[in-house]
Amino acid sequence: MDDDVKRILYVQTSGTESPERSATVFFLAAAGAAMDIEVGIYFTQTGPTLLQRGVSETLRVKKGGATLGHFMDQARDVGVRFYVCQPSLDLTDLKMADLVEGVEMIGGAAFNDMALDADRVICF
Amino acid sequence: MAGAAATSTLDCTGLVCPLPVIKLSKAIKAAAPGAVIELLATDPGSVADLEAFERQTGHRVLERSEADGVFRFLVQRTT
Repeated sequence: MDDDVKRILYVQTSGTESPERSATVFFLAAAGAAMDIEVGIYFTQTGPTLLQRGVSETLRVKKGGATLGHFMDQARDVGVRFYVCQPSLDLTDLKMADLVEGVEMIGGAAFNDMALDADRVICF
Repeated sequence: MAGAAATSTLDCTGLVCPLPVIKLSKAIKAAAPGAVIELLATDPGSVADLEAFERQTGHRVLERSEADGVFRFLVQRTT
């Protein structure tokens, strides 16, 4: 692991039930990745619902604004990585096959390991 | 303007956070070392963002100015 690289791990705990609470993480993560920080977002609690295929494109943070899918794509485009864990998927009755491409499955041990390796962990 | 002449201009007027920084990051990566990018932005947050960008990435903000609500930065790719 390259120790010169700075890392931020975001934790997203809300999902499709509250789009207005679900966009900030993508803005900040994208800005972080744009300044060469290694950025990941771990989706837990209802967070994984945002990752369902075909769903984020239907959500808007604000009437007349861009879709949440647009902000998600913007974040991934600059290298932000998305993580989920199995219990969170179980909680929301989702399977990996229901999610957009490229989401990585981790577990609690891996999450804690990532948290310890990150320079900061930020929760939403 | 002393020394630095912009190699290209990145017009981010009308765009809000985080787009100016994302576009700058892409433009820097596509530029040759030493290249100077002129960034124009109207988001007032871009002033603090450019300072942070410089601090974190090491690319240099050579000049910064503001006229009629448009912020202008000259950013040089270092490595």
